[in-house]
Amino acid sequence: MKKLDKHQHMSTPAVAARSVGTRVLRSEDPRLLTGRGEFIADIDLPRQLHVAFVRSPVAHARITNIDLSAIRDADGVALAWSGKDVAAFCEGLVGEMAVEGCVPTTMPLLAGDEVLYVGEPVAVVVAESRYAAEDACELIDWDFEELPAVINMDAAAAGGPVANPQLPDNLGLNGGASFGDVSAAFDQAAQIVEGRFYTCRVSAAPMETRGVIADYEWASKTLRLWSNTQMPHYLKYMLTAYLGFPEQSVEVITPDTGGGFGMKAHVYPEEMLLPLLAREVGRPVKWIEDRRENLIAGAHAHEQYVDIAYALDAEGKITGVRTHALGDGGAYHMPPWSMAVEPWCAVVMTPTGIYDVPAAEYTYKAAATNKTPVGAYRGVGYMAGTFARECLADDAARALGMSPFDFRRHNVVREFPWTNPQGIVYQEGSWRQTIDALEEMVDYPAFLHRQAQLREQGRYIGLGLSCFVESSGESSATSLEHGLGDVYHDTATVRLNPNGTANVTIGLSAQGQGLATTMAQMAADTLGIKVEDVSVQTARSTDHAYGSGTIGSRGAVVAGGAVARAADVVREKVRQVAAHMLEAATDDIELVDGLASVKGVSDASVSIADVATAIYFDLDSWPKDFEPSLEATQAYDPSQAMFSNGGHAILVELEAETGFVRFEKIYSVEDCGTVINPNIVEGQIRGGVLQGIGASVFEELAYDESGQILTTTFLDYGLPTMDVAPPFEIHHLETPSSHSASGVKGMGESGLIAAPAAVLNAVNDALSPFGVVLRDLPLTPEKVLDAMSVATTASGPDEGL
Amino acid sequence: MKPPKFRYVAPRTLDEAVEHLAADPDAKVLSGGQSLMPLLAMRLAAPSILVDLQHVPGLDGIEDQGSSVLIGAGVTHREIERSDVIAQRLPILSSAVVHIAHPQIRSRGTFGGSTAHADPSGEWPTVLLALGATMHAVGPRGRRTIEADDFFVGPFTSTLDEDEILTHVSVPTTRTAWSFQEAAVKRGDYGLALVAATGIPRDGQLAEARVSVGAAVGSVRRLTDVERLLSRGPVTDALAEEAALTAAASVDPISDIHGNSEYRRKLVASLVRRAVLELKNGA
Repeated sequence: MKKLDKHQHMSTPAVAARSVGTRVLRSEDPRLLTGRGEFIADIDLPRQLHVAFVRSPVAHARITNIDLSAIRDADGVALAWSGKDVAAFCEGLVGEMAVEGCVPTTMPLLAGDEVLYVGEPVAVVVAESRYAAEDACELIDWDFEELPAVINMDAAAAGGPVANPQLPDNLGLNGGASFGDVSAAFDQAAQIVEGRFYTCRVSAAPMETRGVIADYEWASKTLRLWSNTQMPHYLKYMLTAYLGFPEQSVEVITPDTGGGFGMKAHVYPEEMLLPLLAREVGRPVKWIEDRRENLIAGAHAHEQYVDIAYALDAEGKITGVRTHALGDGGAYHMPPWSMAVEPWCAVVMTPTGIYDVPAAEYTYKAAATNKTPVGAYRGVGYMAGTFARECLADDAARALGMSPFDFRRHNVVREFPWTNPQGIVYQEGSWRQTIDALEEMVDYPAFLHRQAQLREQGRYIGLGLSCFVESSGESSATSLEHGLGDVYHDTATVRLNPNGTANVTIGLSAQGQGLATTMAQMAADTLGIKVEDVSVQTARSTDHAYGSGTIGSRGAVVAGGAVARAADVVREKVRQVAAHMLEAATDDIELVDGLASVKGVSDASVSIADVATAIYFDLDSWPKDFEPSLEATQAYDPSQAMFSNGGHAILVELEAETGFVRFEKIYSVEDCGTVINPNIVEGQIRGGVLQGIGASVFEELAYDESGQILTTTFLDYGLPTMDVAPPFEIHHLETPSSHSASGVKGMGESGLIAAPAAVLNAVNDALSPFGVVLRDLPLTPEKVLDAMSVATTASGPDEGL
Repeated sequence: MKPPKFRYVAPRTLDEAVEHLAADPDAKVLSGGQSLMPLLAMRLAAPSILVDLQHVPGLDGIEDQGSSVLIGAGVTHREIERSDVIAQRLPILSSAVVHIAHPQIRSRGTFGGSTAHADPSGEWPTVLLALGATMHAVGPRGRRTIEADDFFVGPFTSTLDEDEILTHVSVPTTRTAWSFQEAAVKRGDYGLALVAATGIPRDGQLAEARVSVGAAVGSVRRLTDVERLLSRGPVTDALAEEAALTAAASVDPISDIHGNSEYRRKLVASLVRRAVLELKNGA
């Protein structure tokens, strides 16, 4: 495996924790919770026009004629374009990933000769109001010949009708690898357990939909683009690469954003079109996605099958694992991540989970279908992989007659650093401790007793366990170690003001994670000042700090590292001047609790505020050859992959009359190394687990046989609500990272990564008297009631089962 | 999701409202907008003119008239939820109202609007059918009353004429044995099945039972086979079980992405069982 050369920006300073680890209230909340946020829909520019899209009503068709003249003649319409008009500026967005067997696709900004999924943009209308634009959209005159709609990924992968002519075999991705002697493990296995698990198609469904505003000033060739993207700098780069806008004159602005969850970590045709439209009409243009568009045309997520098998030896140890993932990628690779995000991540990232398995083999395939492209969604791919591994762990435990806790403890990695079969090093972890902690939290013997008692009354409760290891702090190292070559780094700027307060700017845009709070904590502790004396600006403009995107559980780790490094440069300046003022050596000065003090000399100190004031206004306090800038910008990228870990145990009851799954309690254990702010970590757990419950029980983007999407409003697409959210009990373990700033690890995705497996395991545990095991999400009331109807009589299941 | 163009009037009298409706066959009444506004936004409806009733007097009020309660069509779900008269005289309405959407929507949506909309998964059509309510309507041909049995005739279809306005509903208070059951995956969701059952306790038995089903079926309807069964004798566990089986046999439920016909049949049976057992306890 290729290793990263270690560069200067990969080290972080040692910092004494003061505010880190405490429940600092989110500084964002007073503004956001009182309606004082400014989201993209709140922004109106003088003279702006409004944009609406004509989207394909059919899954697959050849466009034989398209005539926009009636649209162009309609009241209030400034411009209308079809695919032909826009192709002159941009042929489309290339989607591919540098992994074995990836065949790239080009997604046109507006459909060309063929439409490939319901919701694909076909024409765009710019008008005086959104009303006028939508009225005009209805005037489109076009003819198309319907082509076979490829809906089923198994059939697509097997050949047959082609979904996208750019992928003649219907495969956007096809590869695999093997590590260790997998064949021997399976040949010599005492027992093999296997299963095919299905994670259904869902939407990240952020509460704020997507939105773009573009304003082009022809005289200075300046483009300002507002987008609630998670990757403003990448978007800026794409605007130059694809559209030729001069890089130095492009600014991407990210206002307050109401959730992204990966859906907003793509580059979309709409983001490329609006700058072109603004330039063409000479006025600002605005598009706010409506909920129907968001459910139809925002990147979809998750849909894939994972076939998994464990070879077990006579002692019940897993000696080998085979994982075969087949993803439904939709009609195109979703730029920039591609169809690889689901099946590739599902098998390549942590193929052995928390288990000490010496041999692993995997294959990944992504089938093209005539459905909306599948992209990233919180814990992308890891969810399906964890789902398959952890549900099969329960199957194995049942087959061996072991408790799910014992089976996991029997197989868990115990010694660190541990090198997995791929050669990836896991430096530290509390994998075994997680299992012990969960077993204690749920009081397993008491649960079993209660379960047995309730069964006698015809009530069915179940406990499901799921343990995870999460690759976090997405970095160049993580990418390289997993066989990719993506390069990441982020910068942060820290400035100490004359009164000893600090302003911090980071390169990551925030979608609600509380980055302004946690980064203030990191800066405060590094500078030795109070957290309320630090103001953090998350990326609002690409004119400031650089960032590789708020993705991959990297915010706390990567922005935190950059903030600590930049603050450390400023800290050194303060120490130099304090040393001069206190007539001590710089090495003896420490900055803690607002004071610059001489180590070991109790009364030799000066306030950091006084030092800052002196640097700005008092030349006499300066040492010789001093350079007074109290502002520093530094980069950070972790030197190696890092992994957080934890687990959830979920307690459910199945309602025998309705098949409804009722959630009684969630037990969560999280080890993300040093916890910067428990409130924020717990919020991430709660939100992520709820999304996992949604993806397991309530949510599915459904299609009919003709490729028509059936779930286009929240009436039909069932997001979980507070009334189905059970109480949580959360336990923190802290195993600091060996190499990140303050030992933090990322954890933003773990809830969704691991919760679905716990839900399915809980439901299957509850169903155990019926002898039925479910493996396909979502666990609809219909499926659950069907399962409970097996061998039942009016009085309950057969006693013999 | 912007509505197509429409004209809008806000008449100040009922007569004026009726005139607008009579003058244009594509006119639609706007009450709370709970169902109409989404239909407009999705461009599933394109009325030429909306006749907003919010300034029309006389459509409000919940009036206890002894053997019935007269409820104005403009009364919001939230007002019903908070009404002492309803809680005391028609507790089945209090029980059903909390299943209607969420508090914000209940504060906008109206009793009359939902009733006239005749959504098969609507709580009010199901409940009013089981109570044998009487609808009061006014139109260009004057006032008339329509019995619930004659009012709900199909999915989103009532016998209210296009130019008529539902003004009040008279709901009998004599059916003191009652049960309302709804199976919804989450609070505020449309129900997968709704069952309302009522009767008059008489000599340890249940007289004049009425049982209705909504949501699981194409249009809200009574389960007359179940009603006949309930009139046969005292309500017992065994009778509840038989009622469930009878209900399952007498419905032809719809299939959609939220549940197939067989699932909904089981659900209707479960809800009828629960409803009858509750009647037993109340009787």
